[in-house]
Amino acid sequence: MYWNKFYFFLGVIGIFNMGNQLKAQGIKNSNRNEFAFSSTIGENQGSLSLGYNYHWLIGKKQRLELGIGTRLTSVLGSKLNYTTAPANLARTYTAPFLIVFAGQSYENWDTLQVQRPLVFALNTTATIKYHVSKKLSAGFNIDLFGVSLGRSSSAILTSNGITKTESLAKPTAVNLLLTGDLDHGTLNSEAFLDYQFKKGWGIRLVYQFLFSEYRTNNIYQIAPDGTKVYRFRNKANNFGIGINYSF
Amino acid sequence: MTMTKFGVLVLFCLVSAFTKQNATSTEALMETIEVSNSMSLKGKFENGPFGIVSGNAFISFSNNQKNLVLENLSSSNGPDLHVYLSKEIQPINFIDLGRLKSINGTQVYSIDSNLNIKDFKFALVHCQQFNHLFRSANIQ
Repeated sequence: MYWNKFYFFLGVIGIFNMGNQLKAQGIKNSNRNEFAFSSTIGENQGSLSLGYNYHWLIGKKQRLELGIGTRLTSVLGSKLNYTTAPANLARTYTAPFLIVFAGQSYENWDTLQVQRPLVFALNTTATIKYHVSKKLSAGFNIDLFGVSLGRSSSAILTSNGITKTESLAKPTAVNLLLTGDLDHGTLNSEAFLDYQFKKGWGIRLVYQFLFSEYRTNNIYQIAPDGTKVYRFRNKANNFGIGINYSF
Repeated sequence: MTMTKFGVLVLFCLVSAFTKQNATSTEALMETIEVSNSMSLKGKFENGPFGIVSGNAFISFSNNQKNLVLENLSSSNGPDLHVYLSKEIQPINFIDLGRLKSINGTQVYSIDSNLNIKDFKFALVHCQQFNHLFRSANIQ
């Protein structure tokens, strides 16, 4: 866990220092600001997100943009299933980055069905975007760290065939990108296509990969190794549309 | 359409899609079941903190199949009503037998034949989405 955090903070420092490095190398760069709103929908859930990003334009033709900013994502659902979150239980191995290739340890998973999830996650976001043509661009953004608030909800924990009621499941408060199931909290990432229909204005097609996380308070899963599990995660593949404004 | 209207429309669609649960059917059911053994585990629905429910609940045994029968049930309606077999009078440790088929009539819910029925003393009608217990019946 210590090394995960170390690598993560190195990455954040690197992103913030990127503009200075480019100037020092004599590479032409300018910048712009972007506001983006998107709405997505998936199985039993939907999301709205509003973000601001500061972008550096890179290269002679300035086709590449790298950005950092902040984004508020709200996740709304009904009877949403959250499964065992700790990485050492959810996956077969937990090496940072490589964890995304690890197998799923289904035998350790239990399901927390949150009846009325509603999460607001405010996160720092990194973005990369490439201008394919004057009007068309493609990119990817990902939440890095932040905080979550949200509605407490009743939930049903199904474990070994028996169900239990959790009267007060709450969203996990701290969000932290540590790759794959090592992540904590609610983190949004989007792959998108932008089409500029008017100077400064673009419409956006979005494929979203969204993690959200709830914690139980009164009940818990007892994993096969005896660990008490209070964190449960939902992973969603959503699709949606958005609009963005740059200046 | 202005941006504000677009945003409100999107928000409305999302809220509508993910907050509404259908109420339970009001059709008067009259399900029957072949009973080979006595119906010794029987109870009457009694007061819970929410809703009004009357009728009987009993466990029937037939050809190694166990069923929970809600007899002459009459219940106030609500969203997402479920039928539980529970160890406690509150839904703390329970088995979800599915959504309540109707708020009226006699209805049958099958129980896993491997379940030790003696551990589950109560039949509950529970609004799952809002965690409201309508009524319970002590069936032992």
